[in-house]
Amino acid sequence: MKNSIIINNKHHPVDVNSEMPLLWFLRDNLAYTGTKFGCGMGVCGACTVHVDGVAMRSCIMPMSSVVGKKITTIEGLSEQGDHPVQQAWLKNKVPQCGYCQAGQIMNAASFLSTNNNPTANEIDTAMQGNICRCGTYQRIKKAISDAALVLAKEVK
Amino acid sequence: MTIANISRRSFIKTASLSAGGFMLALNLPIPNEALAQASGHLSANFNPNAFIHITDSGDTFIYCGRSEMGQGISTALTSAVADELEADWQRVTVKQADGDEKYGPQATGGSASIRTMFIPMREAGAAAKEMLITAAAKVWHVTTSDCFAQNHYVINKINQQKLSYGELASLAANSPVPSKPKLKDKSEFNYIGKSLAQHNQTDIVTGKLTYGVDTKISGLKYAAMVHCPVLGGRLKSVDVSQALTMKGVIEVIKIPRFNVPFGSIGGVAIVADNTWTAQQALKKLVIEWELGKNQTYNTKTYKQQLVKNVEKPAKVIFERGDVSTAFKQAKHVVKATYTGGHISHSPMEPNASVVWVKDNSCEVWAATQSPADIQKTLGQYLNRDPKDIIVHVTMLGGAFGRKFKCDYVHEAAVISKKIKAPVQLTWSREEDTRTGYYHSINAQHIEAAIDDKGNVSGWLHRAAFPPIASLFDPSVDRATAGDLGVIEEHPIGIKNLRSESGEAIAHTRIGWYRAVYALFYGFSFGTFIDELAYKAKLDTLSFTKKLYRHNKTADQHEQVERSLNVLELASEKAGWANRSNFPSNQGLGIAVHFSFGSYVAMAVKVEVKNDDINVLNVDCAIDCGQILNKDGATAQMEGAVVMAMSLSLSTEIVFKDGAVVNSNFHNYPVMRITDMPTVNVHIIENNHKPTGLGEPGLAPFPAALSNAVFAASGKRYRDLPFQPMEL
Repeated sequence: MKNSIIINNKHHPVDVNSEMPLLWFLRDNLAYTGTKFGCGMGVCGACTVHVDGVAMRSCIMPMSSVVGKKITTIEGLSEQGDHPVQQAWLKNKVPQCGYCQAGQIMNAASFLSTNNNPTANEIDTAMQGNICRCGTYQRIKKAISDAALVLAKEVK
Repeated sequence: MTIANISRRSFIKTASLSAGGFMLALNLPIPNEALAQASGHLSANFNPNAFIHITDSGDTFIYCGRSEMGQGISTALTSAVADELEADWQRVTVKQADGDEKYGPQATGGSASIRTMFIPMREAGAAAKEMLITAAAKVWHVTTSDCFAQNHYVINKINQQKLSYGELASLAANSPVPSKPKLKDKSEFNYIGKSLAQHNQTDIVTGKLTYGVDTKISGLKYAAMVHCPVLGGRLKSVDVSQALTMKGVIEVIKIPRFNVPFGSIGGVAIVADNTWTAQQALKKLVIEWELGKNQTYNTKTYKQQLVKNVEKPAKVIFERGDVSTAFKQAKHVVKATYTGGHISHSPMEPNASVVWVKDNSCEVWAATQSPADIQKTLGQYLNRDPKDIIVHVTMLGGAFGRKFKCDYVHEAAVISKKIKAPVQLTWSREEDTRTGYYHSINAQHIEAAIDDKGNVSGWLHRAAFPPIASLFDPSVDRATAGDLGVIEEHPIGIKNLRSESGEAIAHTRIGWYRAVYALFYGFSFGTFIDELAYKAKLDTLSFTKKLYRHNKTADQHEQVERSLNVLELASEKAGWANRSNFPSNQGLGIAVHFSFGSYVAMAVKVEVKNDDINVLNVDCAIDCGQILNKDGATAQMEGAVVMAMSLSLSTEIVFKDGAVVNSNFHNYPVMRITDMPTVNVHIIENNHKPTGLGEPGLAPFPAALSNAVFAASGKRYRDLPFQPMEL
């Protein structure tokens, strides 16, 4: 294959319609089902993955734009499922139905990689694209603050 | 492991259930006596009943028969089993049960799972524990009273010897099943009433938990579909030629209407190699619909008509005392009219399932609140015994009542039968938004007679809304006595009271939405009481106490006191006494509502700038009787606030020319993290029977918010949502 992408550190050939969104390539072609379909128009955040380390909405990201890029999904965020954001989510018992949480976690992890000392307003602004219908926002805010403290220590 | 591999005679345990007054028949399978007699060769596993399986290594599996949609039931109920079983929670794996009547009624709704299953599940655990103890006593040649169970071991009181549950599993399989296992005293609980984390949290944060949209099996094909935009409409013609030219498209299939409760309304589906291709091909279909008689449905004018229907005399549903005299003798009369729009459940996971219809079997993997309903409908459709329809209940990515109605599973079955392959059908967000079972559009008009002592001496309450019953009987032209029952049963218990039901014919599918009618009754009662307090120049807390305590009906005494307890607690925590110190554009509103057996009060603090409503803080007090999981209860209230904020402030499903105008989250603007207030949950602990919390948290919120905005700005909102998006 001429074209390939790297997903969670593994190379995958790309042999699909170039307009196909990354979300469906992940879900239907590779069975990476941790990344969720919520809206299909980039307004709910359930499909958030990292493209070269930056949070992106995979439901509106055509394969043509990600060829050769490095993709990280929730399955690859950490080897042991122990990324500080994941740990903070567990500590704060964030999820209810959990369907949006992969997107929330991926968005939060990307955000904290650029700002590990965020204010409450900065957290709100960073996370406003991710909808949770169960209403876990209060715990998400707390979990992000907790994760930021851990990440700040790691940097020191 | 299969539970069914042990042939068994069953006995029927019946537990009287207070909830709906119905009886639960729970089969507790007993190990085959023949097997037990097989000369010491014992079964490898201990399956004392449908809910428990302990292996020889002590690994313990506990089955939850109710659907898990984030409300925490699969942790609450199984931890109750583990508690009675004296199991080590770390050794327990929670399993979601397939659809099977041996788990008791599985339909998950009405905040009823705790009410109906708490005791039977505990009995299942207690029975298993007694069987393990019996087995150990036999080994040690002591009596069962010489033994006790603790943390996955049976311990010999005489010599402190221990046998693990794994060591005892095979032996216990031959113990007699106790007919009336003894339940623990509250003081002995290890898990019940604590704050266990939901069992599935690690799988969620690592992306491993599988939902209805996630099932992958070999040979799976993917489908998307479109429904007629108007209820009752039909497919006139479809040109599939363009769609079929797309690479990856396998077939176009017409889905028939299922004329059963919650049946698919029919439409056109496309099967393809992947979901995206199917979605794209749908856009290439040229479809002509015959829209039918509901094509004139327009929610704006319909709501205006409902208001007219409640502002004039309507069909009398209930009357007690002497209402006309009360109004004739009134010192003054207070009137108000409230409305609410349709709302859509819009769980984050759109409707989805996998179905595989084979010649001799049918297997379903679905996010469903009602597996038995799928078995029944597909059994009928495929002309097979419902028991032969295997339904695996996946995790539900939110549901809120929508996934009780499994039209999306019927559709997947049609497709699978046609293409003879397993099919995953995933609705688009647009289909999910536009082909719903909507919360009922509604109007209410209340008039209160106030006597010379300032007491409410008469109450006239008219409601008009198309009821859920319209799903089953299209001739239903208004809400029924049952639908208006809340009015006469409300704990304020006004002596002279009349309820009336105004005409309201359904033009779309009406379904129960989280909290159902309690949403608009909580709003009308809670807001009107605040309005009465204002007119009486009393603060709302004092007025509410006076109003409730004026009810001297003996059998409502408990409701009055428990309602006021939560209201006082929420008010106190929110600083009700100090509210005059708030900045002038801030206000505190309170309301209480009793629904689904639970009592919830909200104290909402807002800041209002021009028309911009900012919810700052919510203090929520709950009394749900004996509590199973404090953290789970707290989470339900936090979530209820967010969902109730959406429907109070902004979300409304709008119909024009018979079809839904909204399509996705950009024009169905649910709350986001930026809207989130601080929510503090306060739990009143007592020994009343446990009741559910999935729904009751929503009921008092809209009124408390309306009351808060009035306190802050003097502006009174009587229509839900307060500030709808123009569509």
